[in-house]
Amino acid sequence: MTAAMTAVDPTDAYVGYLDCLADADEYAAIDVAIGLLDAGVPAERVLLDLVAPAQAEVGERWARNEWSVAQEHAATHISEQVVAAVAAHANPRPTGGRVVVACMDGEWHALPPRLVAEVLRLRGWQVTFLGASVPAAHLVSYLHRYDAHAVALACALPMRLPHAHRMIEACRRSDVPVVVGGRGFGADGRWARRLGVAWAPNAPAAAELIADERALRGVPPARLTHLADDEYASLVRRRGELIDSALADLRDRVPAARAYSPTQLDATVSDLGHIVDFLAAAVYVDDPSLFTEFVEWLSEILLSRGVPAGAVARPLDHFGVALRDFPRAGRVLALGRAALPAADR
Amino acid sequence: MTASDVRDWDPGDGRLPTPSTTRSPAWSADVTPRSTAALPPLAPDRDLAAPDWFEVVEHFREGLVVCDADGVVRHVSPVAERLLPEVTPGELLSAAGVPGLSDGDAGGFTHRGRRLTARQVPLSGARCCWYVEDITDSVSRADALLAERARSAFLAVVGDKLGNPLHPDRAAAAVVRLAVPTLAEVAVLVLAPRGGRARWWRASRTDDEVPTVDSGVLAGGDLPTAIADGLTGVEPHAVDWLVEQAVDAGWLPGLAGTESAARVVPLPGRDAPVGVLLVARRAARWYDEADVELARAFAARAGAALTTALLYRDQAEVADTLQASLLPVEPAEAPGVQWGTAYRPAQAGLRIGGDFYGSHRLTDGGSVFFLGDVSGKGVEAAVFTGQLRQCLQALHRLESHPGRLLRLLNDALLETTQAHGQGRFATMVLGVARPQRDGGLTLTLAGGGHLPPLVLRTSGEVESVPLSGMLIGVVPDPRVGEVTVRLAPGETCLLYSDGVTEARGGRRGDEQFGTERLVAAVTGCQRMPAPALAERVEQVTCDWLAHGDHDDIAVLALRAIGPGGRGSRHLHSVPAQPGTDRQRETDA
Repeated sequence: MTAAMTAVDPTDAYVGYLDCLADADEYAAIDVAIGLLDAGVPAERVLLDLVAPAQAEVGERWARNEWSVAQEHAATHISEQVVAAVAAHANPRPTGGRVVVACMDGEWHALPPRLVAEVLRLRGWQVTFLGASVPAAHLVSYLHRYDAHAVALACALPMRLPHAHRMIEACRRSDVPVVVGGRGFGADGRWARRLGVAWAPNAPAAAELIADERALRGVPPARLTHLADDEYASLVRRRGELIDSALADLRDRVPAARAYSPTQLDATVSDLGHIVDFLAAAVYVDDPSLFTEFVEWLSEILLSRGVPAGAVARPLDHFGVALRDFPRAGRVLALGRAALPAADR
Repeated sequence: MTASDVRDWDPGDGRLPTPSTTRSPAWSADVTPRSTAALPPLAPDRDLAAPDWFEVVEHFREGLVVCDADGVVRHVSPVAERLLPEVTPGELLSAAGVPGLSDGDAGGFTHRGRRLTARQVPLSGARCCWYVEDITDSVSRADALLAERARSAFLAVVGDKLGNPLHPDRAAAAVVRLAVPTLAEVAVLVLAPRGGRARWWRASRTDDEVPTVDSGVLAGGDLPTAIADGLTGVEPHAVDWLVEQAVDAGWLPGLAGTESAARVVPLPGRDAPVGVLLVARRAARWYDEADVELARAFAARAGAALTTALLYRDQAEVADTLQASLLPVEPAEAPGVQWGTAYRPAQAGLRIGGDFYGSHRLTDGGSVFFLGDVSGKGVEAAVFTGQLRQCLQALHRLESHPGRLLRLLNDALLETTQAHGQGRFATMVLGVARPQRDGGLTLTLAGGGHLPPLVLRTSGEVESVPLSGMLIGVVPDPRVGEVTVRLAPGETCLLYSDGVTEARGGRRGDEQFGTERLVAAVTGCQRMPAPALAERVEQVTCDWLAHGDHDDIAVLALRAIGPGGRGSRHLHSVPAQPGTDRQRETDA
């Protein structure tokens, strides 16, 4: 018995639980959660006040470069086991209709939607959780096969918004209402409104929205008339070429880049790809703040990993020149450039 | 009297005299006659052609009423006489009591069943002239056009919403929801009874734009006659009593029987109607011929959508049952082993493919496990993996030595493929894991032409297991590679299919992921639980693909976790994590 096990409040158990995640001690972590349940704490609170904040902290530790990807994955796996154990312990009886919960195609942050799925299950819905990175075709064939009251889709990265939109439309064509969540839609859900889809900031809000079918269906339509300028489509077409030229530019200006190991080269290509993808997503929803938020986040991540200042500014400048015929993308890039910390400019 | 009398409005070329002038010159005084000096007089009969303007004006489409400064009618043209018989010359215009002529507002009004417009034009001497036009025909033409446009737009929306294959229940709900408010305030769909029970859906209009939908089940015998008739394909004509009946039965919330109109239209199906749609609304909007036409057009689309949905459901039920038998089965729980799996078929909608993995418990406490890839893709490949897995299921009871088991499998497959003339083959790694006292595992591996497994050592090193061998199912008695690997507690062996290493992505989307990137991706992951490791391999592969097409992807990881005295307590409460999602999905 650890001290954490006797805690009757999730916030008291939090520190001990985080230690279990840090030690990758699956069974101790489950003990903490089950101990809370045994002490009479409702399962929903264990999920939302213990597992969810701990998982957010795991992400923070990765971002601060305190934890490796492997540690983050292991901790996430343990959190998933804890969620499964809490769900099995509570074992609610379904009384409502079927709700399908899934991650957008390409989206691997499965724990937040898993928590939403379990909260919905605890509230009586018959929940199917399809897991991480669900291809649209798979989701649609599932919806044809089983009648769903609603679909809840998660997206953690705004760069997936164009794909998210396609997936939302696919569900709509199956006449199933959609609710979305996750940081990918903006902290206030503004990009969900842009895509014309209902948005919930957290699991309880999602549960309330799903219970209100009229609210789900009464969402104002998407406002995407700006896509008529074809900038998004052209950016996607030119993705490979943009990355290539940015890499060539980097090698010209930074001699060290010529001596990159294959792993470093892959990482650079991947970063450049993210910049183009976030730029394209910002152009898709016509909101430069999507890109500026990303640029700020990226420079913090790179700073914590000792990547020299200027690593972000240089490709932004390069893309600015390469995309001078793209007025909207150009504005997004300029604002992104301005958002860089002074030392980086 | 000249055109300068007419203010604010120019009837055309500015030369027309007003009708009050009886005999005016052909050309206004202020208009200079054309100079004849420059041109020869080509029109000697011009004077004869000079029209009698009064006569001309009398035949305008517009009727004219001229009033003097006191509002007394001074002149009424024949057209105006016909349109406004109560207007009499010599009396006050206001005394006639024509609504549209009471004030100066130009606009339309209805008078004696005709749609008229009137506009007032001031003349000289404080007189005025009313121009009155009968626009009944053009208004009704415009109304008909707008109505036709609205009907086309409605049917276009219906086609759009019902044009996609839907779940039958969704399709039914969509049908009633779409019928409101264009066709009805309350729409009820009754499906053809199955097993003596008829399911119904109803949409009723509410204050805002989203209708509320409910549904339920009726015994087939309880259906009103009109509905039962509709289900045989007859469209009932005398439907007045139907409203009362439906209202009495509580079918039409918010509508009273006496002041409502209703119609029943059958929804065409494959042979008999698939259902019947009852539309009802307040009698203020009676169902005329055009409305009924529209309801029929709607019913045709709705019937097609429902028929497709039912057909799709029947097909999908069959496909799902077959699919479920071809999906990889999660490895059986085994002491000292933690399994991790990932599976991503090339055809996402199909969810099955040519990659396979699995494990079986052996009676001596060990486990036989395998991962492989058959030639080809899609359903045929999946069917072949099913045969292969069934063979293994049976054969492992006879032979637990991996090398010999693989050769047995080879012979069995060779026989089936030759019998069916399929010419299919497989690559695979097959192994037996036996727990050791120290919590480690001994893996005896046999290779059938598959990619060599990786081993993640506690030291952080990633080793490639030297395992060769020939394809399975091609030649009798193939060369099978064999090797034994020791896993210390916490070490992991990783099996994967070529969908991982041959994933095409990168800058241009044409570069193979390759073994080196895979090794780099799992380096440093030696402390990861097996399910997390398998998911990581799947994730880095899919990230590399960046939404591109891919081959089937399968990953099987097994980690030595020791005898696991600690874990047993929770084994009952923690579902086997890998594939929990898929398991739920197929159970559902």
